[in-house]
Amino acid sequence: MPGWKDLFPVDLADEGRLSRREFARFLAVVSAGFTVGIGWLWTRRRPLDGAPAAPGTRPEALKVCRVADLAPGNSFLFTYRDDRDRCILIHTPQGEWRAYRQTCTHLGCAVRWDGRRLECPCHNGAFEVEQGFPIQGPPTRPLSRLDLEIDPDGWVWIRGDLPKPGIAQEGAQS
Amino acid sequence: MSAPGKSQLTGAAMAVILLIVLVQVYLFETVLGAVLDGQRLALPGAFGVSLALTAAALFLAFKVRGRSGRG
Repeated sequence: MPGWKDLFPVDLADEGRLSRREFARFLAVVSAGFTVGIGWLWTRRRPLDGAPAAPGTRPEALKVCRVADLAPGNSFLFTYRDDRDRCILIHTPQGEWRAYRQTCTHLGCAVRWDGRRLECPCHNGAFEVEQGFPIQGPPTRPLSRLDLEIDPDGWVWIRGDLPKPGIAQEGAQS
Repeated sequence: MSAPGKSQLTGAAMAVILLIVLVQVYLFETVLGAVLDGQRLALPGAFGVSLALTAAALFLAFKVRGRSGRG
């Protein structure tokens, strides 16, 4: 045996070796992590970003801006449920009004209005403005749309969450 | 090489644990999507299933001596 092996007796090949049982234990701990994650989702009271508010927890109606202050084709950013609940109000070129949560349904980046559609700059996702359906890129679920109303005095009000289109309505009703 | 006195994990047990982790990934992804869509009704059931799967995985991975275990 060479002299250096006496000085450094650690076998590097065995040092990095992972037994089947050790790997199985790692997988079991990963499995426990998923269970903890589901439990956290269950016990968490505040909805996740992008999710509609739980029944009975909607804030009061919010006065956002005056109709005259937002020309067709423009957008206005505001917060609704709390300071982190970023939303976007859009006055479409056709003269219609839409409001969505700004959170992309892919990985949560903030979408922005480009004059025709809502775009997510992170992964080139895009959503159409009528109902918030994804039309390009990785997102597969529509944006959360907010119910809005224009009062006789010319103010735009946000009233609450609309159910997402295309999914079962039981859990989303309030 | 397993050390003397340690039990060997059978291939079947390893396969079951791998399958459990795959099911957990799918379950978590499904539950997260449902929660993001505002549907929380499935959370208690999903948590129960996930807990049972984790218990099975932990049992298989940490039991001291397997049926076919040998030194």
